[in-house]
Amino acid sequence: MSHGAATLGAACSVSSNTFNLHDLEYQRIQTVLTRMQKELRAQLVLLINRSGQPIVISGPAENIDCTALASLAAANLAATDGLANIVGEREFSVLVHQGRQRSLFISDLLKRFSLVLVFDASASSGLVRYKCKRTILLLEEIIQEFQRKIEKEEPVTGIPQFTDEELEELLR
Amino acid sequence: MTFINYVAREINCKIVYYGPGLGGKTTNLQYVYQITNAENKGKLISLATETERTLFFDFLPIDFGQIRGFRTRFHLYTVPGQVFYDSSRKLILKGADGIVFVADSQEERLDANLESISNLAQNLQEQGFDIAKIPYVLQLNKRDLPSALPVEELTRHLLIKGEPVFEAVAPKGDGVLPTLKAVARQVLIELRKSA
Ligand SMILES: Nc1nc2c(ncn2[C@@H]2O[C@H](COP(=O)(O)OP(=O)(O)OP(=O)(O)O)[C@@H](O)[C@H]2O)c(=O)[nH]1
Ligand SMILES: [Mg+2]
Repeated sequence: MSHGAATLGAACSVSSNTFNLHDLEYQRIQTVLTRMQKELRAQLVLLINRSGQPIVISGPAENIDCTALASLAAANLAATDGLANIVGEREFSVLVHQGRQRSLFISDLLKRFSLVLVFDASASSGLVRYKCKRTILLLEEIIQEFQRKIEKEEPVTGIPQFTDEELEELLR
Repeated sequence: MTFINYVAREINCKIVYYGPGLGGKTTNLQYVYQITNAENKGKLISLATETERTLFFDFLPIDFGQIRGFRTRFHLYTVPGQVFYDSSRKLILKGADGIVFVADSQEERLDANLESISNLAQNLQEQGFDIAKIPYVLQLNKRDLPSALPVEELTRHLLIKGEPVFEAVAPKGDGVLPTLKAVARQVLIELRKSA
């Protein structure tokens, strides 16, 4: 399975149990991620949800499996949250894994999302932290604004109303 | 959490295989991986101990094809069945759209099945979900073993709400796909309702 599709699209409404990504929010998130990716010359920047699904991807991402990365990053963050609880911390909101060539930065975003960054190990991790913090604030703003909008307006429409026959055809 | 991406036109759902240790959850995913075309699957990731017991989870993304112009992608996860990994199970269960309960049909595992179902109900409840409402399928695995209890007896003990039941021999693939399709069907019907 390629990860190309997630690169093409996404942006978001968050109801209790579904998350819908629409064009406008997708564009805004993509812009923010791309700016950060360029500034840090990061290999890859992803916004994922805490279930481990990639939502918006920015970067060349050559030979990185974004689906697998998102799933493992979400699990990693979840496990770390569990560890934090055990030692009496509310959370460890940021994880940095320093490698020899590539490093990984994983941060919480509003408890429902996470920002994941793959960057050159030679980059300053202080700079990465700083930029990520700023990016997260921007993303939080976009997502919260969108959430307020959908709370005021009609519930999100556009959930495909397929027929039972179409469903059976899919599951054939 | 179902994730609908209107830009890429994708529906993303999370399905969790739950059940007692050694019941065959990982084997279900391995079989699905084996028989799925390369273009419709991602890597199978297994975080396991050196003895191949699941330590954290297995993960397999698969693509079912399109419906109304939307690609349907399912992220399949297994939990570690061993009792003492409960905190890991809770983490994996988060955001699940549907559950497959893989029961071990052997007589000597009946108590482990029952314990695991009640553990599932409890963990779902902690996350604000009701086992009676979430898409849910029961798989009776290891039907090939001599000590397997009769189906009627197992369903009498394990059925919780009239969910679909499938007999399976996971290493041979018997019952594996029907189980997966049944839970996928329920998840998509739920999604359609949420409009
Ligand atoms: N005979 C028989 N063996 C099976 C069947 N399903 C699984 N097994 C075997 O049972 C063992 C355990 O299977 P797994 O799939 O690893 O079990 P699991 O539920 O993932 O176990 P945990 O990871 O510990 O929770 C393996 O050796 C499988 O080959 C079955 O239907 N019949
Ligand atoms: Mg396993």
